[in-house]
Amino acid sequence: MKKILPTSNAIIAVISGTLVLLGYFFPGVFGSIQSVLIGWAIILAAFALLLGIFNLALVHWKKTKTAGSSKVYSIVLLISLFITIIVVSINGPTGSFSLWLFNTFQVPVEISLLAVLAIVLVYSAARLLTRKPKWYIVLFLVSVVVMLLGSVPLFLLGEVTPLILLRDWLAHVPAVAGARGLLLGVALGTVATGLRILLGVDRPYGG
Amino acid sequence: MEQVLDLINNFLGLFFILLCLGLILFYFLSGRNRPKISLREIQAFRHLRREVDLAVEAGKRLNISLGRGSINELPGGAAFIGLTILDRSARAASNSDRPPMATSGDGVLTILSQDTLQYTYQSLTAEQRYNPTNARLTGLTPLAYAAGCIPIIQDEYVSANIFAGHLGTEIALLTEAGERSRSLTVAGTDSIHAQAVLFATSDEPLLGEELYAAGAYLGAGPAHLASLRMQDILRWVFVVAILLGAIFKLLENLF
Repeated sequence: MKKILPTSNAIIAVISGTLVLLGYFFPGVFGSIQSVLIGWAIILAAFALLLGIFNLALVHWKKTKTAGSSKVYSIVLLISLFITIIVVSINGPTGSFSLWLFNTFQVPVEISLLAVLAIVLVYSAARLLTRKPKWYIVLFLVSVVVMLLGSVPLFLLGEVTPLILLRDWLAHVPAVAGARGLLLGVALGTVATGLRILLGVDRPYGG
Repeated sequence: MEQVLDLINNFLGLFFILLCLGLILFYFLSGRNRPKISLREIQAFRHLRREVDLAVEAGKRLNISLGRGSINELPGGAAFIGLTILDRSARAASNSDRPPMATSGDGVLTILSQDTLQYTYQSLTAEQRYNPTNARLTGLTPLAYAAGCIPIIQDEYVSANIFAGHLGTEIALLTEAGERSRSLTVAGTDSIHAQAVLFATSDEPLLGEELYAAGAYLGAGPAHLASLRMQDILRWVFVVAILLGAIFKLLENLF
């Protein structure tokens, strides 16, 4: 059984993947089966999400039994999870109480984290200066400074046209060229990863 | 007319996929009996291998963050690479006191990471080491995911963090947490914005296609080497095509 299951998993995965891929190129022939398979995948993903939340609750349930101050956070998480599930089950995902919960707790906390993220980015850029100077680090920092100075009116100087022109050139020529190069690499890597899974060589589903 | 263009596009797409498939198969079959192929030095992977050994010796663990890439969508490609890294790291650190930890921000990815760990330990006949809570869902939105990962980086005796998957600019919070806990961070993502952030914040950023070479560098098998060679060849084809296009455009404007 231990040997049969991985093989059958691989066969199902390879056939399903191939049919979905063919659905993109021949929508008339494989379009309907592609829709059915993607529909099944979405349903399975929803159940996987439930299992993931159960996993999250289990991890924090275990943490509440350990000593240490961090268990307070786990207790808060479990209580919040329980209250949210009860409220959303009764009120629906778009009900006024559910939205109140989301807008009062989730949104402000995430906005605070975004603010922290901005500080972290500035701090990291400054920390780059403390590293051993290399030409590409200097280039990176100079580009960041030019982009920042070219984006806002400067104190006493107002808008400096050469800086704005330089910023526009940086943003539209070297940055776009570099980003396209990186995207090409990412695209080729994604295709290669997908094909390895279609060939059944990579089996992230336990085989 | 539109239908004809769609048809041409579809066939071009199919031709491209078949070309990739053919190249992978060719290099896979021709490379099986060859001695080891030398790969370009990527410092991040060298440091990662060393850090895995050090983690085993020091009784610490690795944290592999797989990001939020749903496998139903394009970011799934990067997530699968994260799973490959998880498999290789779990194998390398199988005799460590503390097994590797995987975090993800998507339900399917969490299950796949549990499955990867379970299968890896099964294949090493070390099933008793598998613990489903070592593969965790930490949050479903980008910042919630980061907020859930930070305590793991800081409190779970982590010696190295590997961020491999679909992560946005929130990755800066994670690399900063790694920096503060004095653990190595090796990070790669498919997001261009996050790669810019990684350049400034990570010890060892993996840029562009480097993330997708992880399997080949960590010894995941000949198929990974074959697909890496396919990527190399097609990248050069693209480079030549883009340069020729630029030259022709320039000539057109000049004359």
